[in-house]
Amino acid sequence: MIVPRYPFRILTVAVVVLLSSCAPTIVQEPTQLAAGTGKSFRLTRAAEVRLSTGYSTTLRANTRWELVGTISQGEVYRTRDQVVTLEGAHIHEGYVVVKQGALVGFYLPVERTFSPVTGSQPLSVEP
Amino acid sequence: MKIRSVAIVVASMLLCACATSGPKFSEMASSMPAAKTDMGRIYFYRTTALGAAVQPDVRLNGEVVGKAVPNGFFYADRAAGNYQVATETEVERKLTFTLDSGQVRYVRLNISMGFFVGHVYGELVDEAKGREEIADMRYTGTGTTP
Repeated sequence: MIVPRYPFRILTVAVVVLLSSCAPTIVQEPTQLAAGTGKSFRLTRAAEVRLSTGYSTTLRANTRWELVGTISQGEVYRTRDQVVTLEGAHIHEGYVVVKQGALVGFYLPVERTFSPVTGSQPLSVEP
Repeated sequence: MKIRSVAIVVASMLLCACATSGPKFSEMASSMPAAKTDMGRIYFYRTTALGAAVQPDVRLNGEVVGKAVPNGFFYADRAAGNYQVATETEVERKLTFTLDSGQVRYVRLNISMGFFVGHVYGELVDEAKGREEIADMRYTGTGTTP
């Protein structure tokens, strides 16, 4: 029988590789979007948003965001100036959800769910 | 001697796996048919030859539309709506996004470390970045429209 010389080290590396290949899924809550239009804002300063999965997503400065509707958690805005995705075990396109000038989470248009961020994040915006 | 022979065979297999034929995107972009007016286009491409032997099917809403071939690209024209791109090796990875009529989406097929086999997954990238990265990729598809 062949016994590895450093069994604990090999096991540790195997566990690290296994864990790094299994990211947690994005937290999602069911929600309902009431379509809306007519409002927009420009983000004047970039915002880096930390996700509960350990990944982050960056909203770039000078991007224009158009209202697409409202959910119970806030107003939903979409931009055509950049791609916004949320990464965990899978990757989802997201629209930002804003309440009283702060980012409170993301609306996932395909899943039709809300994904909250931990602690709302104030946004620097102008009309 | 035996080790040398094995090394040559493995190297040949790797090189075969890396060799992607077909015209480059930059060479065929002007002659590629445009998507119909009521449809959008999704480009899929894989820039890295890392894990070249791992080439899973790429499924778009459950339908196989191509393979994740290193340095290759293909596209699919679809009606506006919601889409899910799925790739599977030892785990299944999914990407979800919306597509509008006339919109062009770029999905880069990345590879990350897995336990036994690398994980190939789709990532939605900005149009400007997608156009830049896809330029040197070679066509591996047939162009699919439902």
